[in-house]
Amino acid sequence: MALWVLLVVSLNAQAAEVGKSLVRIEATAQEPNYKTPWSPGEVGGGVGAGFVISGNRIMTNAHVVSNARFITVSKEGDPKPYPARVLHIAHDADLALLTVTDPKFFEGTKALAFGGIPAMESSISAYGYPIGGTRLSVTRGIVSRIDFLPYSHSGMDSHLTIQVDAAINPGNSGGPVLQDGKVVGVAFQGFSGDVAQNVGYMIPTPVVRRFLKDVEDGSYDRYVDLSLSYHSLFNPAARRALGVTAENRGVLVGSVFGGGTSEGIIRQGDVLLAIDGLPIASDATIPLDGSATPLAEVVERKFKGESVALSILRDGKPMELTVLLNQPWPFTLHANAYDERPRYVVFGGLVFQPVDENFMAAHSPDDLRLRYVFDFFVDDKLYKDRDEIVVLSSILADPVNSYANDARYSVVEEINGKRIRGIADVASAFAEPADYYVIRMLGTGRPIVLERAAVEEARSRILSRYGVREEKNLAK
Amino acid sequence: MKPLILPILTCFLAVAHAGTIPQAKPSPSPIPTAAEVETSKSSILRVNSTNQNYDFFRPWMKKAPYSRRGLGALIEGGRILVTAELVGNSNFIELEKPATAEKSAATVERVDYESNLAVLRVADPKFLEGMTPLAIDRGMKVGDSVTIVQLEPNGDLARTLGRITSIAVGGHPMDNMGLLLFRLSAPLQQRDGSFTLPALRNNKLLGLLMRYDARSQTAELVSAPVIEHFLEELAREPYGGFARAGLAFSTTRDPQLRRYLGLQAPGGVYVTDVLPGGSAQKAGIQQGDVILSVAGRAIDQDGNYTDPDFGRILFSHITNTISHPGETISMKVFRGGNVMDIPVLLEARDHSKVISESFVMDRAPKFFILGGLVFLELSRPYLQEWGGDWVKEAPQRLVYYDAFQSELDQDRGKIVFLASVLPTQETLGYEDLRSLVVSKVNGRQIRSLTDLAEAAKHPLEGFQRIELEEDPRLIFLDAAAVEANREKMQHEYSLPALENL
Repeated sequence: MALWVLLVVSLNAQAAEVGKSLVRIEATAQEPNYKTPWSPGEVGGGVGAGFVISGNRIMTNAHVVSNARFITVSKEGDPKPYPARVLHIAHDADLALLTVTDPKFFEGTKALAFGGIPAMESSISAYGYPIGGTRLSVTRGIVSRIDFLPYSHSGMDSHLTIQVDAAINPGNSGGPVLQDGKVVGVAFQGFSGDVAQNVGYMIPTPVVRRFLKDVEDGSYDRYVDLSLSYHSLFNPAARRALGVTAENRGVLVGSVFGGGTSEGIIRQGDVLLAIDGLPIASDATIPLDGSATPLAEVVERKFKGESVALSILRDGKPMELTVLLNQPWPFTLHANAYDERPRYVVFGGLVFQPVDENFMAAHSPDDLRLRYVFDFFVDDKLYKDRDEIVVLSSILADPVNSYANDARYSVVEEINGKRIRGIADVASAFAEPADYYVIRMLGTGRPIVLERAAVEEARSRILSRYGVREEKNLAK
Repeated sequence: MKPLILPILTCFLAVAHAGTIPQAKPSPSPIPTAAEVETSKSSILRVNSTNQNYDFFRPWMKKAPYSRRGLGALIEGGRILVTAELVGNSNFIELEKPATAEKSAATVERVDYESNLAVLRVADPKFLEGMTPLAIDRGMKVGDSVTIVQLEPNGDLARTLGRITSIAVGGHPMDNMGLLLFRLSAPLQQRDGSFTLPALRNNKLLGLLMRYDARSQTAELVSAPVIEHFLEELAREPYGGFARAGLAFSTTRDPQLRRYLGLQAPGGVYVTDVLPGGSAQKAGIQQGDVILSVAGRAIDQDGNYTDPDFGRILFSHITNTISHPGETISMKVFRGGNVMDIPVLLEARDHSKVISESFVMDRAPKFFILGGLVFLELSRPYLQEWGGDWVKEAPQRLVYYDAFQSELDQDRGKIVFLASVLPTQETLGYEDLRSLVVSKVNGRQIRSLTDLAEAAKHPLEGFQRIELEEDPRLIFLDAAAVEANREKMQHEYSLPALENL
């Protein structure tokens, strides 16, 4: 009984202390509409949490302030909302840093310090504003699992993640998770109740520290990457055939992606034995921080311009290689994009757009060829033919284009004989004077032919009838 | 229209719908005479077919047998005409006389899945004594009345009147081949044994009902011209089936396209795709050609010609049904400002050269098991094992290869893929691999399962080296261990065989 009371008291003390650091963030966001890319988009809003860190900065999740047009922050015991702005945002790590223009905001606040990776089964407390509300909420739990998991904000990136059984709900996002008064994670994602219970996730401090270090130079560079795939190597015959003698060591390189950091250095069929001197086990883990950690974590902690040393076996012969991490993963089309304006070109009522995850989510096209080109853009090296996938995304019906409907969601291959590698090529092809504009699509199908005179005649009619404010936008 | 096959369920109903059907002008009286009823009754047989499909995920197994029951029409030569779907993958077929319930076994004499037709031969010829074969009536017009024949449980004929609403070239169920269809509206009742139903007029057969949508009360018939073509081919040796032009086209309705192409004459269709190895390609027809006429008949901008019997229908009716394989027709083609006549030798599809078959019937799917790795050749039925939404559910690369096979390198042969793994000691670490296309085995290109079986006989330095198009791209098996454990694995998984080539 005594212990119970003590615990409550100590927790109360921590909550009171955290009240000086916790921040409630209200953001008004404007989501662009990829079906009408010229429209400014719908305005919505959300509430999240954040916390004060050194340098009069507020840390929160990227998804709390994505596409934000107006942000206010408020703190415990001060009813006033203060306008804030984004200093840095990392969509691939779901982290953001805000600042408040009014220096008075930070008076009486306490910057929280970061701890390390909490031990399995150790207790943690999560702070935030779950399901709205203006008063601080605290939930408590233990560290359930430490693993590499996808970050749903970008949908494409995976990083180290800590699973906790403290209740983490919408509104907890961006809030600190504390142990012994130090931040050991930033609450960021979970499951809806019908999928799993008592499973919440936080971004651990290695990811947070990396973000803070990355922005020290004033800009965020994204994660660097080896741009290759590798596979566990359990099969004894495969191990012998590849000449792997060391027990339980090595992973097999599957694909090396063009334009990435490893191209020309690592080859398909190489066996990776060690990374920066750490032995790679055949299940693709390395010993790091006292536990078996996915080998990607070595690269995760590096910055643009650094290198990794790899010990490999090629055709049975050991080799030492160095990969310079000079650029991030080159293909972002499969990631959810934020803080970007949709790009498009309207010509003769035909709307052309580059295809990315945002486009696919808005249009969910059934076109099999488009789905293939999108899904296998990287795997089948389709990037050799085009920098981005440009499609005829919709048709603003008008006499000039009444026969173009069959070609909706076709991938544009050529306009007047000019190869289309990106949306900018579409704009420049239509800017060239010609009597006919002949648009050829990928695969079979007839070309779409537009007569210049007919396009000119229809131009202002289409723009005013469909409320198209600008005929094109080529800037993100 | 959603193909909705009449379910095999017994249902009771009051008939007497004849009066509600508006009578079409040119057709004869819809009220049958007693003699007509007797005659058609003596030409109709119940057909009970017990069919069993292969499991394409585990091609060494058959799925549970099921029975399909429909009506067959006795035609000249003691043959019974039914739809191919009724007897597809049949194990056992039984004919039954409606009045007496006398039964006799039957076998499939010829089945053509492209046209969805089959003829059956009865085991005991005496069984048909006293029955009258039906002649074919091909002169249907839109608006004509037809009688769909069903059987009551007591063996009486139930006749439902319907009216032809359209005659058009449309896809047949198995292969989506464009052949002439009669569409009709008829208030058919659900009755036992209605999978295939004959459609009659004046005691002549004008089609076989193959699809019925109960909600809209519309049906599709395999049409008399297609039946006639099938019967003509049956009389030939060898059976040639149905030819295909082997091209895809789009309309030239768009005046901007017509002006750009310099197309003066009205009509014509724009060739969008020429199937490799098909009739059109061999004849030299190219993508971008505009087909102006076929066999002397002018083609309009939508691809229709005016048929003396059926009005404006797609020209595929000329190439696929009026003409027979081996015949040459002329196509007038507009290319680069010139008009030329191109003779086209019409050929049926050579199924051995198809990369991914659209149907695999009456034979076991091929497979090859190496150490527990299950290899298959890609086919549409394999993809369809993923269920109704297979286009989205099945492995997308395989769906793509199947859908766009005409665009693949035509020398690549069949698509051989590692479908799944039956875990063994030899496949340790490969348990999760599935749906991976094989490019090479032991350094040899793989264009069929036969190639794979041959390549597997030549391991490299004691290893089966398997290269895949996708990650992990390279796997190895211990060749000696695989060989030594063949029987063990066959026994453990109760496999009747380790290959079917």
